[in-house]
Amino acid sequence: MSAVVEVSHLTRRFGDTTAVDDVSFSVQKNTIHGLLGRNGAGKTTLMQLLTGQDFATRGEIRIFGEHPVENSGVLKNVCFIKESQRYPDDFKPRHVFTSAPWFFPNWDADLADRLIADFRLPLNRRIKKLSRGQLSAIGVIVGLASRAPLTFFDEPYLGLDAVARQTFYDRLLEDFGEHPRTVILSTHLIDEVSNLLEHVLVIDEGKLLIDQDAETLRGSATTVVGTRQGVDSFVVGREVLHREGIGGLASVTVGRLTPQDRARATEMGLELSPVSLQQLVVRLTGSSRTSSSQTVLEQSA
Amino acid sequence: MSNLTQPALDEARIDRPGRASNILAVVRLHLVNRYSVFAVPWMIMAGIFVVNVAIWWIIFASVSNEADRMDARDGLEYSGALFYIFVYMLVLGIQSVAYTFPFALGFSVTRRDFWLGSALTFIALSAFFSACLTVLASIEVATHGWGLGGTMFASFYFGGADASWIERFGLYFASYLFFYFVGATIATIYQRWRNNGMLVVFGTLGLVMIAGIALVSFTNSWPSVGAWFDSNGPSGVIAWSLVPTVIAAITGYFILRRATPKN
Repeated sequence: MSAVVEVSHLTRRFGDTTAVDDVSFSVQKNTIHGLLGRNGAGKTTLMQLLTGQDFATRGEIRIFGEHPVENSGVLKNVCFIKESQRYPDDFKPRHVFTSAPWFFPNWDADLADRLIADFRLPLNRRIKKLSRGQLSAIGVIVGLASRAPLTFFDEPYLGLDAVARQTFYDRLLEDFGEHPRTVILSTHLIDEVSNLLEHVLVIDEGKLLIDQDAETLRGSATTVVGTRQGVDSFVVGREVLHREGIGGLASVTVGRLTPQDRARATEMGLELSPVSLQQLVVRLTGSSRTSSSQTVLEQSA
Repeated sequence: MSNLTQPALDEARIDRPGRASNILAVVRLHLVNRYSVFAVPWMIMAGIFVVNVAIWWIIFASVSNEADRMDARDGLEYSGALFYIFVYMLVLGIQSVAYTFPFALGFSVTRRDFWLGSALTFIALSAFFSACLTVLASIEVATHGWGLGGTMFASFYFGGADASWIERFGLYFASYLFFYFVGATIATIYQRWRNNGMLVVFGTLGLVMIAGIALVSFTNSWPSVGAWFDSNGPSGVIAWSLVPTVIAAITGYFILRRATPKN
């Protein structure tokens, strides 16, 4: 009942490429979801499908329990900020912020003003002449100030500097605290947002690899470091996600470990370190062994 | 704002503005940048007018014989100076779909509301600009061509000097609508099918025109084609343009219904 987004067996084909391949998941109300994956993995297409901008080849999408396509009742509650957003020719930022309240019933003008000051966005310069970061700032401001019950951010901060990105995270959390809503955030800067995310979706080549609680996911893989022999004997019989070594030392990433496993590793003089979300995604989507990686996570889940 | 404490959509539905307000929001969006919608057309118009006045003045100053002046005035009746204004409207029509459509969809507008709002905007702008042109044409006729015997607004194509104001208004109005809707519909083809769509459409259009020319030529029908234009006159031809305008407005809607904005 509290699922804001429900997707089942969603497929989107363009000619012979399958951008989204039989994807099923649901998103609970008032959570911050991360949609992670490599370039061309299908993140943008998936978001376009969820916001009624693109059309499914097969499968079902329910947003607030209804079809999103051409459904103004649903779309009024959705805000989709994408990196590649186009603006009308000769528009200035002030035109964007003047018109936004006509479309988003929950628009907060005070918040928008504050964010404009935070990001030092010039209101009267033509959008064409803005820097990449300033262009991204427009999207971020609209996404936050619109206070839409379901907000999508697709790579929202291309070109934003570290200070501005931190401002975005801070304001997002702050406003999320006061006005809970459902946020789906796609990004490459996984480590930066990993504390923000409550739930993680990883998509690769159109397929959904991971649909998991961020907390669970963080413990789902561990890196074992030590002498080559020690590590090798420890990981025997386990699925190995990643392996690297220099000389007599080895570093191997394996799936979830039980407390007994951990005790044994310590006895053997091996070092255990958690794998960051970013590393995990890199290892899962970086190789062509995605199927074996997937089984590890399924076992560990 | 206590929304979201209950199921999101139900709460939002309460303060959700009706469909009419969605369409009206699109109209306002089209007009939010007043500079390019209102100022630029008038600047173009003023520029053309100044050039025309200069030409009229040169003719007036260099031709002293009254009979020759009459001759020149008859020629000026066929002024195509207003054509540029309509070309600018064609461009605005294209831009409204090429730029404003992807933006409006980003603002969670449905394609249906976008198209209806755009159509309403085109109609309102056409009426406004036509009214202005009608007033200018009346001044032109009343001042005998701005004192120089020139013609820009009350040209032969829009009924000439003897037309009633309502006839002129109607002809301007139909011309504006034609350029707005045809421009917008061409842009919808691009939004839907990108470059391939443009190639197919213009390729097909070219073939159809060649086929039409061939048909008319082989059946020796050119005289009757000429007779059609002759009997309808420029005003009649403009009135007939409402047919392609309406076709463009309807096909544009159906093309856009399945279009996805991309870069």
